[in-house]
Amino acid sequence: MSSRDKILATVKANQPEQRALPELRLGAGGADGAVAAGVGAGGGDLSAAAGTDLSAAFITMLEAIGGSAYMVSGYERIATILREQHPRVGRIISGCPELEVFAETGKRYADPHVLEDVGLAVLKAHFGVAENGACWITEDRMIERALPFIAQHLALVIRCQDIVADMHGAYEWIEKIEGAAAQAEGAGAEKGVGSYGFATFIAGPSKTADIEQSLVLGAHGPRSLLVFLIDEGLSDAGFY
Amino acid sequence: MKGKDHAALADEFNKDEPRVNWHDETLWWVRQKRDKAAHKVPEWEELRETASQIKNNVLSNLSEYLQQFEAAATANGITVHWAADAAEHNAIVLSILRRHQVDKMVKSKSMLTEECHLNEFLSTQGIDVVDTDLGERVVQLAGEPPSHIVLPCIHKKKEEIGEIFHEHLGTPKGNADPQFLTHAARLHLREKFLTRRVALTGVNFAVAETGEFVVCTNEGNADMGAHLADVHIASMGIEKLIPLRKHLGVFLRLLTRSATGQPITTYSSHFKKPRPGQEMHVVFVDNGRSVHLGRKDFRNSLKCIRCAACFNTCPVYRRSGGHSYHTAVAGPIGSILAPNLDREKYADLPFASTLCGSCSNVCPVKIDIHEQLYKWRQVIVQAGTAPLAKKVAMKTMNWVLSNPSVYHGAGKAGRWFMLNAPFTVNNGLNLWYKQRDMPGVPKESFGEWYKKNKK
Repeated sequence: MSSRDKILATVKANQPEQRALPELRLGAGGADGAVAAGVGAGGGDLSAAAGTDLSAAFITMLEAIGGSAYMVSGYERIATILREQHPRVGRIISGCPELEVFAETGKRYADPHVLEDVGLAVLKAHFGVAENGACWITEDRMIERALPFIAQHLALVIRCQDIVADMHGAYEWIEKIEGAAAQAEGAGAEKGVGSYGFATFIAGPSKTADIEQSLVLGAHGPRSLLVFLIDEGLSDAGFY
Repeated sequence: MKGKDHAALADEFNKDEPRVNWHDETLWWVRQKRDKAAHKVPEWEELRETASQIKNNVLSNLSEYLQQFEAAATANGITVHWAADAAEHNAIVLSILRRHQVDKMVKSKSMLTEECHLNEFLSTQGIDVVDTDLGERVVQLAGEPPSHIVLPCIHKKKEEIGEIFHEHLGTPKGNADPQFLTHAARLHLREKFLTRRVALTGVNFAVAETGEFVVCTNEGNADMGAHLADVHIASMGIEKLIPLRKHLGVFLRLLTRSATGQPITTYSSHFKKPRPGQEMHVVFVDNGRSVHLGRKDFRNSLKCIRCAACFNTCPVYRRSGGHSYHTAVAGPIGSILAPNLDREKYADLPFASTLCGSCSNVCPVKIDIHEQLYKWRQVIVQAGTAPLAKKVAMKTMNWVLSNPSVYHGAGKAGRWFMLNAPFTVNNGLNLWYKQRDMPGVPKESFGEWYKKNKK
């Protein structure tokens, strides 16, 4: 008998009587059962469904965990701010074609080790989560899986309306992204098309408190994290 | 029982009183951060209840979920292995390393590999393992096991870490600045990440529905290792399964708030497929879990998500230190998990508790930890594996309490001895008097007083 069969047989013999899964009625959309029903069912934005401005809560949380946030009108402002914030950062790679004069864009890399010297990576994330300051990013937006971790500094870009209240909303959104991608692949696409091979929530810069509980930013990954929230209706006039 | 038991090891830890106080206060501070974070979530109790119910479902369906995960992960290009025990787990890891002719690897935090003593095994096979979590690297360089599952070197002062880094990493002698030391470790470990072809990580959650697994770190070390390596091995206990991906929403909200008071870890990475050209392995480890599942009174401990909230709140853990538990997972949860692996070796651990119940109150998946501690005590005493002094004391107590005349006589005798010959009671043989003062001795018992005054 293989270990597999032995383990499965013992587990099966010992597992208790069937217990039902609970219904998920938690989170901002959960009180009225909206999460269970699917917040995005109406086809609108998940964030809009929450009906409140979540960007302020997101920014407060992000700052509390060591990140910083900027509301910007577009990529021109992003380039200006990054030049000011990271004047001598060295090699910059971006997944935003809008930043091509500012960074390496549109390249693929055969070996992640060539990213060793990246000073700054600027990547588009999908959405932010207000309750914890995290952003969800899938590997198609990372250029290389290693990039958001190996870069000395990281900047993420989202639209300011793309923020969910909590993690329940986040997983609803993730499902929606996959659904849309599968649809784009064609109606005959099999399940799982458009889904990521790797994805992550990033909440603030890399950090540790392993030495006497003293918080230090910049453990192995980026030492800083900037999140840009693009609000196209925003005027640049008030800045600087 | 071979080796020192919890009480003897705690005694050693307690020799340095200021350090015990510091350890106690540091962990209590982490507990307070947990409270603050939990209280900010109005539906916290509902979250705990939901998580508990999901885990109940997992235990009742585990054989199906394991197969479902295996099928989905295999379809995603992940190789799934099954290890009946620690030795088989270690052999599987070694065979992967050998096939790639690799003798060095990086490893992120995995309590399972501590349980399996993977590092020791691989070193006998000529394989060099570098632990990449900062706290784990510190204890690895110090030649010690982690003393806490979330904060591995919480028992070390920064000056000691400075000394370890001076010796092994060449940092200036006397420099104990956490910022400086962390930076030194960053440079030291970056070189390891860039040169190792195999990376091993633990697993926080594995999703049966999608065949993906989630690894949570603050440092980014699991990701640095996995994304730069040709081969990623992820080792997990079979109880880490959850049914659906959306259940991660529940567990990720609970995990870090319970652990450190953070709203979420910096990175919650979802691994579903190897990157092109990479190999990805998942090793399911049983090592006693499938048998434990059959123990009605104790199976709930398999719901544990390893947040360590029960450690931080435990008055015994905080004042005895993680090493006093002489097992990979210390604290209250470790004290109910370890006897399952070896009841004799860990017969002392269920007694390393005041049964105050604080552990059960903070547990994010509602494990009845203190009740299981109490039940383990009964199992251990009935099996005759309790410590001898405890056995004798309990037998004597039983005789005294079940014989009224003996009871009254013993009370009288006790009071006489405490008044006239306190050394016969308060001596090295009576553990009750360790770190406690003598109470004042009444002249008569309540029974005697009542007889005199009942009119």
